[in-house]
Amino acid sequence: MLKKKICMVGHFGVGKTSLVRRFVDSMFDERYLTTVGVKIDRKDVMVGSETVTLMLWDLAGEDDLEQLKISHLRGASGYILVMDGCRAITLAKAVELQERITAQLGPLPFVAVLNKADLRDQWEVQESALAEHRWATFETSAKAGRGVEEMFLALAAKLLP
Amino acid sequence: MPIDGAAKRPASPGDDQPLAELRAILLGPDRAAWEAMRQRLDNPSRRAEDVAGVLAEAVRLRSHPDVKLRRALQPLLEEALQLSVQSNPRMLADALFPIFGKAIRKAIASELDGMLQSLSQTLEQSFSWRSLEWRWESFRTGKPYAEIVVLRSLLYRVEQVFLIHRNSGLLLQHVTAPSSGAPADTRDPEMVSGMLTAIQDFVRDSVSGAESENLETVRMGEIGVVLAYGTDAILAGFVRGSAPRKLRRVFQDTLDAIEQKNAESLRTFSGDTSRFDSCRPQLEACLLGQAKPDEKSSSAWGARALLFGVPMLLALALVGWWIYSASVERRWVDFARRLGSEPGIVLTGSEKRGSKYYFSGLRDPLAAVPAALLPAGLASTKAEFHFEEYHSLVPRFAAERRLAALKDEVEKRSFRFPTGRAEIPPEQRFLLEDVGAQMIALIQAAAALGKTAQIEVRGNHDPLGTEQLNSALARSRADNVRAALVTLGVPSARLIAAPEDKETCSAVEEEERMFCRSATFRVTGL
Repeated sequence: MLKKKICMVGHFGVGKTSLVRRFVDSMFDERYLTTVGVKIDRKDVMVGSETVTLMLWDLAGEDDLEQLKISHLRGASGYILVMDGCRAITLAKAVELQERITAQLGPLPFVAVLNKADLRDQWEVQESALAEHRWATFETSAKAGRGVEEMFLALAAKLLP
Repeated sequence: MPIDGAAKRPASPGDDQPLAELRAILLGPDRAAWEAMRQRLDNPSRRAEDVAGVLAEAVRLRSHPDVKLRRALQPLLEEALQLSVQSNPRMLADALFPIFGKAIRKAIASELDGMLQSLSQTLEQSFSWRSLEWRWESFRTGKPYAEIVVLRSLLYRVEQVFLIHRNSGLLLQHVTAPSSGAPADTRDPEMVSGMLTAIQDFVRDSVSGAESENLETVRMGEIGVVLAYGTDAILAGFVRGSAPRKLRRVFQDTLDAIEQKNAESLRTFSGDTSRFDSCRPQLEACLLGQAKPDEKSSSAWGARALLFGVPMLLALALVGWWIYSASVERRWVDFARRLGSEPGIVLTGSEKRGSKYYFSGLRDPLAAVPAALLPAGLASTKAEFHFEEYHSLVPRFAAERRLAALKDEVEKRSFRFPTGRAEIPPEQRFLLEDVGAQMIALIQAAAALGKTAQIEVRGNHDPLGTEQLNSALARSRADNVRAALVTLGVPSARLIAAPEDKETCSAVEEEERMFCRSATFRVTGL
């Protein structure tokens, strides 16, 4: 059986926890996020004929006060860069995070996520601005459950040799 | 070389000029360089500067191929250190403090921790039944008490063991104690493994500890987590109860062995945990535990029953005996009190000597006999009485004594008769009133003491004459006296004729025979 550590990173309030909640049944209380700064969930997915256990490390969102602890990403096989389509700043933050992670841990497989697809008419993030980074990007709606499963599966597939 | 040869050739005055010119032409440009080189070689301070420039690089180069330089420097360094300590010890102390201080603090803290643990346990166990049991076990088996304490006191059970990849927090292997009953309650071990790693990071970040410092134990009520760290893996055990400190050692040794054997797999780990299946036996060996007392076999119960039953029975017997002897003692005390309150007895001392009880004092002869007052259950052989006689002034005893005196007086009285006659002679009649009064007094005194006095009147005769005549004579004499006394007021029911007897007076002389012809009295019923 294969096990992979996956981290959810992104600016504060982009919906990382909601995405995880859509995907798994949690065991730990969400208070862990605010106290310990991390909450771990598990999801088994099938990639081809292989079962992969994804250990999802939901890391507390970065805001002006709290810096993401890169130490939490140690040993991760990949990560999910989450943005909020309604807030342009979350893209800038995602770019910065991606650079920091690459600088410290080297190039890791990841997928970018534009969340809150249910509020597409209020989006501030320009597709052109996003396109220049050439990220594998998914549009999801944690609220409606749209695109979530596919996004996780796509990342899982990236992790296999 | 030709240059040198030229220089050394003996100079002739004629040759000198052109040669010098030739030398200047040929060697002119190099001369300045030579001169500079010569000066550098001759001038010690210049030479020192040159060496200083390359010293570091030279040492670096020289230190690699062999250890000669190190050997050469060693005595110098030692001497230098010695000198430094002698001249200014402070400097070295300041330099070493950050290292030593930390190490010493850690060592002391760990030592204190262990000491506190053992002290608190010792205190807890010194005053319990369990400690008595252990002392007995130590006595019985000949093992030192401390060993028994260690064996029996540290009750714990390793319920789950996690082998965790240190970097990613991914679970490599997980084993559970077969009968721990825990699995139903066990959270997903994968997530537990991850959270444990995250919490370890969190604690380290929170206390801003160094990377090399690790969370060593986590405790939550009954359950503790013992953690051992290796380069690439963490071994964590969930322990119920109080884990002995040596358990961490066991974990650390196991982890070291696993890391040594699986170094390559750990370093290149990319999520395939099946490579660590071979570690399971080692992990299972970590599922240690100390059986709890309530899981002991019935034979142990038997031993315990014997261990506690016998002293318990002895204690019960002792208590029983004590209660019994206390009650006996109390009965003797009660008896002494009773004796003291008995009319006519004055108790002046009572004590126990050995197994006997001694009572002493004064006793009126009319008072009750002490031994007769002993209640059932108190053996008379256990009691010794020493009483002096005295006369009590208790009214009853005075009345008794007066009654006895009256009885004596009455019984001394007699009426004498002439030969062959039964009538009371005139010279004897004056006695009648006196005797009658004494008899009435006697009867009244007896009645006052609740007694019924009976006075027998006996007629007597001398040995002369026929038996038939004498018997009639005696009867008549008694009847006559009785009748006379009844006439004087003595109750007839109290004054009765004595039964006849064959007793005869054997007097031979007349002086004696005259005492035989009489009527006498005997008082009964007192």
